[in-house]
This record gives sequence, C-alpha cells and structure tokens, in this order.
Amino acid sequence: MSEAIVSTRIRLARNLKEYPFPIRLSADKAREVVDKVGEALKDCAIKFHRIDLSNIPDTIRVAMIERHLVSPDFISEQDGRAVYLSDDNTVSIMVNEEDHIRLQVIKDGFELKEAYALADQIDNILSKKLNFAFHERLGYLTQCPTNLGTGMRASVMLHLPALRMSGVVNRIGANLSKLGLTMRGLYGESSKPSGAFYQLSNQVTLGISEKAAIDNLQNITTQLIAQEMRSRENLLDDIEAQDKIHRALGILKSAMLMDHSEAMRLLSLVRLGVSEKKLESLSTDTIDRLIVEIQPASIMTRFGDDMSPRDRDIKRAEILRDRFN
Amino acid sequence: MLCQHCQKNEATTHVKTMVNGKYAEYRLCPECAHELGYDSMFTDFSTDFGGLLSSFFSNALPAISGATHCDTCGSTLNDIKRTGKVGCADCYDTFFSELMPTIRNVHGNTEHKGKHPGVIEYTVNEDEQKADNNASSKDKLGALRAELKEAIEKENFERAAQLRDEIKGLEG
Ligand SMILES: [Zn+2]
Ligand SMILES: [Zn+2]
Repeated sequence: MSEAIVSTRIRLARNLKEYPFPIRLSADKAREVVDKVGEALKDCAIKFHRIDLSNIPDTIRVAMIERHLVSPDFISEQDGRAVYLSDDNTVSIMVNEEDHIRLQVIKDGFELKEAYALADQIDNILSKKLNFAFHERLGYLTQCPTNLGTGMRASVMLHLPALRMSGVVNRIGANLSKLGLTMRGLYGESSKPSGAFYQLSNQVTLGISEKAAIDNLQNITTQLIAQEMRSRENLLDDIEAQDKIHRALGILKSAMLMDHSEAMRLLSLVRLGVSEKKLESLSTDTIDRLIVEIQPASIMTRFGDDMSPRDRDIKRAEILRDRFN
Repeated sequence: MLCQHCQKNEATTHVKTMVNGKYAEYRLCPECAHELGYDSMFTDFSTDFGGLLSSFFSNALPAISGATHCDTCGSTLNDIKRTGKVGCADCYDTFFSELMPTIRNVHGNTEHKGKHPGVIEYTVNEDEQKADNNASSKDKLGALRAELKEAIEKENFERAAQLRDEIKGLEG
C-alpha cells in the first residue's frame, strides 16, 4: 500500500503460570524463566539467538531500542533479562520485561495479518512447552491489567507529514481513543517528537478478539492514510511546501553539524518529497534506513561509546552528506 | 513525589525514554507532561500505566474479598495499588472483586474474547463435557477440534488457522 505506512508490529504479552510476575520474581527465578523460554523456542523453525542484557554495553542496549527491538522499559534493569532475536530481527522476544514474555514481530510496510500470523505461530509453539497463565474470564493474565485479554498490541508506524503540517494530526489523535486506538509520536530525542512519525495501536485488549482488533486498526489506518494523501495533494501544489522539501535536501547535502531533531525534521520532509515523486533518484527505503542510522546510540555503536553530543552531530552530518551527495 | 520539571505539583506520569542516546526516567505532573509533549498524544510506548491505575483504584470499592494478601506471591492489595502491577496469576483470583472495577474502567469490558492457549487441552475437555449434548453442530465442532489438534501437533499452522476460523464461525 502507501509508503506513508513505514512498518507494522504485533506484540503479545504472555506469562508462565508457575512463576510470579516479573515485579515479584527473584533474579534466580528470572534466569530460570529465560532458560525455559529458550528451551521452548528450540521447537521453532526460526532460529533465535539469546542476548543477556547484563552482557552487553549500554549503547547496544539503546541501539536495540532505536531499532524497536526492545522497549526503553526493558533496559531499565538488566539482571535476569534477556532478549531472543531472530537472525533477520523480524522477531524479538523480550523475557522479563513487564511480563515474562513479550513476543514481537515487526514487518516493513502494512502487513498486519502476516505479522499476526507469524506471532500466532510462535505463540502456539511456545504454549506447547510453557504453561501460560490464563483465566477463562480475563484471558491471558498480565502483570499490568491494561494488557489483560488477548495481551495483544498491534501497531503501525505512520509517516504523516501533511496532516502534521496542517495541524490536523492533533485533532485526530484526540478522537482516536473513541475508536479504541491510541496514537503516539516517535523519535523524540529530548522531549517533543521530531519528524512526523506516529505509532497507531489498539488501546483495549479485553473483550475484543485479535481479529476484531486488527480489522479495526486496519480500517482506521486506511482511512487515515487516505486523509494524509488528500492533504498532500493540496500541500504539494503549494510552492512554499516544495521549497521546504528542496531546502531540506540542500541542508542535508551540505551541513557540517546536525543535531538529532533537525535531522529528523529534514529527513521527514525529504521522505515526503520522495514518496510524492518530487525528488527523483532517492527511495523511502534509503530514508528509513538512515533514520535508524542517525539515532544517537546507533552512531555510538558504530563510531565509539565515548562520543560527546557534539561529536555525534559532526558524525551525523557526515553520514547524511555521504548519503545524499 | 514532586514533578521533576516544575518541582511544584505532584508527579503522576512516569516517563521512560531516551535522551541523547541514554536511557532516562522522569516523573512529571500532568501540566509538565503536556508541555514537554508526553501527553497521550506523544508519550513513549512504555510510559507506565501505574499512575492511571492507582487513581482508578482509589475510586474503586473497598475490599470485598477481605483477603489481606495473595498466598502465592505475598502481594497485598496496597502493593498492587501502589505499583499498578499485579504480583502473580493467582492475585487475579485473590483480589478479583477489588480489581474488577479497575479492569472494567480500563477496558470497558470484563469478558475475554479471542485466543485460548493450549487449544489442545481446551478442546479435549470441551469435547468430553459436551459429548452428551446432541446438537449436530457440536459433533462437527468436535471433529474440527480433533483435526485442529492434529494440525497443531504436526505444525501445519496454515491448516490450523483455517480450522480455527471454522470453529469460531460455528461457535458463533
Ligand atoms: Zn510539573
Ligand atoms: Zn499473587
């Protein structure tokens, strides 16, 4: 479908019946849970490798967040926490985050049903070896009652520059909760999100089946994207908007210092230009890869843990000049 | 705890995020959370719901079950209110009547719809219990469930998914 849909994610929360939830779990027991999950995953056709959080440097932990493989909450503690990653990083299984198991599938583009099917398969394999905490009335039991029921969070990452420029995005955000959805900004480094990237997900997990929640998200996403496309048409007739896009590219091609939020703002504009065919010879894939590359911890992972913010701004500008010239 | 931004109001939002490539946590009051962009629109994915939950709890009915703590994990109702987190699976039974108003508030619903784990066990019991029932759709359900069990054992997930849809259709 549209390039305005960057990626799709399905996350399932599961807990083992015979262990207390992570908040009440000793470090020894937590390690037992990590081992059990690893054992159960051996039956899966997909091969996973295990990463214990306590064994890796802080920058790698943060770089995993920047790639959406783990959550910020997950790295807030390291003892007894591990993540199982598939080779292609499509599947990540966080163990002992807020729940014993957070199984996540990420796919590029708009692939809700495909992503769910994969998550569901892996969940079935896990449930053969692991005894999941489940309640006839409340569904899958989770540490936080907000995830009871299916324990499923389905989300799409959207690029909505036109709706953001027209200010409509805030109004939409406020109305989405009536439709059982929430929308959040992404890639904010210090406080406000930069670039026009949003994550739209289902809000409620109890009393609505996986299928109904996914269908709802799919419908609303389709409508939202149609709205974004209509706004783009009007917007891009405007010479000022075109000017903004071309100037953004100009700055990315020549700047010597580039902080994170400026980079995100400019990349967002260029991404708009590329997907509306105003900028030839570039692809949205290139931009999407760059967005990950220029995140602070990703830069530090590649170029050194001890970089100051200024070092990073220099390196970031360099990466961008290289790519756009 | 006071808001870390204005140092004036009570902090209600716990934000976990990244600043300049490092993990960071903030506790903010609603106004500052809004001002800094951490309101419902812009919060990070893992902003925790504890604050929200414990405000629901404070409006909830007083203890009904009379249980002082969960025998399995030792959590008291107060622990759950304070953290917004439940201690173990058994807590949900122990504090069922106390938790229910919050759960209803959060989800607008209290009956699970959707997937059951270990469909295998579930269907077997179901079949035994319902063996005496005579409706023909029940027979068909039984057969479909048996086939589903086999499909899952053989890891033929595509077939299993089809079967599950058929079963859901029959269950209405
Ligand atoms: Zn404040
Ligand atoms: Zn308990």
